[in-house]
Amino acid sequence: MTVWPVTEPREEDALVSAARGGDRAAFGRLYDRYARMVHGILLARVPPREVDDLVQEVFLRALRQLHSLRDISRFGAWLGTITRNRANDYFRKSIPDEKVTEPVSEDQADIRPANDASEQEAAVILAVVRALPEPYREPLILRLVEGMTGPEIAARTGLTHGSVRVNLYRGMQLLREKLGEAVKGAS
Amino acid sequence: MKDDYLWDGSGEPDPEVQKLEKALGRYRHNQPEPNFNQVEEIRPVKQPKRFFRSRFSFQLVAVAATVLIAATAFYFLRLPVPAADSGPGWDVARLEGTPRIGWHSLGEKSGPGKLGIGQTLVTDGSSRASITLDETGSVEVDASSRLRLVISAPGHKRLSLERGTIHAFIWAPPGEFVVDTPSAVVVDLGCKYTLHVDDSGAGLLRTTMGWVGFKLNGHESFIPAGAVCKTRPKIGPGTPYMEDASTAFQEALSRFDFESISPAERNALVGILLTDARENDAMTLWHLLSRVSDADRPSVYDRLAALSPPPTDVTREGILRLDRKMLDAWWSSFGFGDIYLWRTYERDWSQDKPNTK
Repeated sequence: MTVWPVTEPREEDALVSAARGGDRAAFGRLYDRYARMVHGILLARVPPREVDDLVQEVFLRALRQLHSLRDISRFGAWLGTITRNRANDYFRKSIPDEKVTEPVSEDQADIRPANDASEQEAAVILAVVRALPEPYREPLILRLVEGMTGPEIAARTGLTHGSVRVNLYRGMQLLREKLGEAVKGAS
Repeated sequence: MKDDYLWDGSGEPDPEVQKLEKALGRYRHNQPEPNFNQVEEIRPVKQPKRFFRSRFSFQLVAVAATVLIAATAFYFLRLPVPAADSGPGWDVARLEGTPRIGWHSLGEKSGPGKLGIGQTLVTDGSSRASITLDETGSVEVDASSRLRLVISAPGHKRLSLERGTIHAFIWAPPGEFVVDTPSAVVVDLGCKYTLHVDDSGAGLLRTTMGWVGFKLNGHESFIPAGAVCKTRPKIGPGTPYMEDASTAFQEALSRFDFESISPAERNALVGILLTDARENDAMTLWHLLSRVSDADRPSVYDRLAALSPPPTDVTREGILRLDRKMLDAWWSSFGFGDIYLWRTYERDWSQDKPNTK
């Protein structure tokens, strides 16, 4: 697997600070570092076909609101919250209220059309991950889809290593169980 | 170890994880960076202003004075116009009946109104309204409610719900949207919720998405989606609980939070709560850690640890002495939201005095 280096905090603070001052190139470098996190958080919540457009929207919103970020060292946690809010907003506009908090079912997952067996398998696995409880969905997607390591997830999202580790392992355990059930059901 | 591979890709590869990585990798982010140079409307960080600048000019003062006089004259000439139609504020739309903004009624033909700072939106038994602010969110106001706009500044929006029910859906950054009630301050942390305040000032908050912070007099509660929290005047927020908690659990919690009872009775109630708690109730037990007596705290810790093991950097000793960082880390491990957001924004809104009756 590709292991992405976790940025030095001070270097990142400098980028955030420059971006707040209007440096678009600095904001572009933040995009490079955080796009997978934003993509993963959205993929855990909204239909895959919507994710790419929403990633762009989230970064544009972040660019416009960057002046309101008080603690530049918490850029990742702040961006993550904007992303989750945007995902919530998506449902507010597209799904009746009573369905908003329900876990995403396989039917709702709206996965890409499967052209071959491996694509179909991937679609089923993604649907199972997206049906897991919320605390496990996000770290698993960041790890298994976006290829981020546990330390990188913690550094980007602002969560502690302990939290990420617990949710990754519990989520993986639950995913194994659910995939096992899916295989049994299919056979 | 295989666990290391899941954690950071090191150690012996786990074939199952590798298979999942390979299958799901097709969904990975691969879009090119947008051209941010084409984006407008970026607001630079404000620089401290000096009152007397080197370019201070009497001509400038003269122009400013003229503008001020003109603005004052304009204001007084407009006095007969209802206040609801003037000045910046939040857009108010009538949903049903005839809601009022101050003395101005919003009827079927009157169109939308504006809720200015200090103004009150009142709905009677048969009217409802909605309030919208683009960058913040929307609030539906049910019948028999009274809501005032206290602050509407960049990064800080504050309403006061004196009585009635509101349904808030907020997309502003966490901590920006605050609602005062007679028995608690409600801080949005990225969510959708319903807040009800009765005539006695008691409140009930129900979160349907994200999570909400509730606070009064240093007593704080965090209410994630699917949970409910009651508040009482002079006591503040009670302990939040999941809506599907058992009736015995809910009743014991209500007595524990709001009734004057002996230590022995409280101990008995804690016993009921620990016995009835399910994995889903871990969030409630976490709140109880700092609300029970020192004598009861170890049993709460043990039950909570059995239902939802703490992260590796959280110790029993630390929790028993109510170490803030460890409590926060344990909360964050539940996955409802990063408690850092609360700790950061808490400073801002707690400096303001709630503006309730």
